[in-house]
Amino acid sequence: MNRAKAKRTIESAITYASVILAVLLSLFPIVYLLVTSFKPPELTFAVPPVWSFQPTLQNYREVFAGGTFARYFVNSLVVALAATGLALALGTFAAYGFARFRFRGASWMRLGSLVAQMLPPITVVIPLYVLFNAIELTDSRWALIISYLTFTIPLSIWMMSGFFADVPEELEESAMIDGCSRLGALFRISLPLVAPGLAATAILSFMYAWNEFLYAVILTGRNSRTLPVTITSFMTNKAILWGRIAAAGSIVLVPALVFALIAQRYLVRGLSRGAVKG
Amino acid sequence: MRLQRATAARQGRRGWLRRLEPVFYIAPAFLVLAAILAYPLGYSFWLSFHEWTLRGFRQGVPWVGLDNYVGLFSNVEFVSSLRVTFTFMAGALTLEFLFGMALALLLDHDLKGRGLMRSLILLPMMCTNVVIGLTWRLLFNYNFGLVNYYLVRLGLAPVEWLSKPAMALPSVIIVDVWNTTSFVALLLLAGLQALPEEPFEAARIDGASWWQVFRYLTLPLLRPTILVALLWRIIDTFRIFDVVYLLTAGGPARASETVSIYVYRYGFQTFNLGFASAASYMMILIMLIMAVVLARLIGRSEA
Repeated sequence: MNRAKAKRTIESAITYASVILAVLLSLFPIVYLLVTSFKPPELTFAVPPVWSFQPTLQNYREVFAGGTFARYFVNSLVVALAATGLALALGTFAAYGFARFRFRGASWMRLGSLVAQMLPPITVVIPLYVLFNAIELTDSRWALIISYLTFTIPLSIWMMSGFFADVPEELEESAMIDGCSRLGALFRISLPLVAPGLAATAILSFMYAWNEFLYAVILTGRNSRTLPVTITSFMTNKAILWGRIAAAGSIVLVPALVFALIAQRYLVRGLSRGAVKG
Repeated sequence: MRLQRATAARQGRRGWLRRLEPVFYIAPAFLVLAAILAYPLGYSFWLSFHEWTLRGFRQGVPWVGLDNYVGLFSNVEFVSSLRVTFTFMAGALTLEFLFGMALALLLDHDLKGRGLMRSLILLPMMCTNVVIGLTWRLLFNYNFGLVNYYLVRLGLAPVEWLSKPAMALPSVIIVDVWNTTSFVALLLLAGLQALPEEPFEAARIDGASWWQVFRYLTLPLLRPTILVALLWRIIDTFRIFDVVYLLTAGGPARASETVSIYVYRYGFQTFNLGFASAASYMMILIMLIMAVVLARLIGRSEA
């Protein structure tokens, strides 16, 4: 009896220890980046590493000096919001169509949107670069918004069809019998019910666009640059300005992580739905 | 009854209109997607049969037939980039699924603060790739990186993580494992929590060992989830670009040059667009083959 109890205690201690180790390993590089961003530059490379010091905003001031960083922040925000908003509007309708209608070619179209999402960006960006050059759209926010739709639309379709499939069809049918049009039933009955799913899809799509690098590094220039590209500009030929990279990196990271924490319950559900329900 | 009569009436009144109804919902998204993708994909298909170089394109873009495709496979660097990509994929996926499965099984217990721990484990997966690449480049620095500092403190020799060809790819794998193990773990956890309870109770009553339950119940029941997670991880590792670009830029001596980096180099450094397009189409072809094989397996495992 006592041996069994001791065994169970040890087992649960090992479980907790392993999970906490995983948490610490996950957090360590992120915390290290945040801490480095507040270090005075002369301590960045100190060996052994210094963990207690007078925090300073010097790196942040240097990042914002000159005013271009703020402009690139706005670029990132506008591009990510536009790519998300447009994709959500189009993708939600399409997802609703897939969830409610049986029609010939439906599975082919669904497959098509999956393939679009799987396309390696490097294969799309070369011809897009030539195209945008020809119509003089390079170095504009539109060039990025258009390219980002290639992954935000399929993502919205994929996640939202799962959430719509969870809304019982009978709810809409009874509304339609009471004289509601299908569109009315969609807006009054189903959309409010999938609101959390809509929020999770918006957050995920925003984060993909906010974090994107390959399209941005090729299609943007001095006017339309986004933050991930801006960070790499602190790697100059002479030196890598780690303090500024840490500060700029933290500025990019923090909104994404806060969003992720807020929506994590729905994110996991939305992401895993494909896995669980097929 | 009422429902049937109502829908029947509606069907009779405007059956053809009803048949067009899905088009109204689905067409806009697909038209936009097709409008954006059709031209680029068509143009690069055309390019892949032509010679387009920065020096020559003003004199014309001659048709070269399959030369670009044939040239790919006699190009040592292309073959090497494929080998690097698949080595990376094999290493990263093995570790991610081992650790991910372990983590999912641990989190499936009734732990205090499980929600919080799950959220914190999720964070690496939401980080900006550029920031991940640069942070790890600092951590892996030979002279003042924290990884080597702690290795030395533990009495081990410092490692040339990024500057030694043999270590570059393992370093990229470590960063990818840090980045996406949580994705695998959370998908598997969701799959575990959706499993029926009865077979597990029956096995416990029959006195099955932990390993027997895992091997003969959990794994087979979890197969669809594992395959879907595998599909997404294979697609993502096959096209990896950002983290490699910032961590090693494919070096040293191309030891960590993945296919995406290779195509990038031919497209935007030597501007050999015909050749780069042929490489792009090989990438798409390989991706489609892997996706179709896995989709087949997923379909069979669910039937």
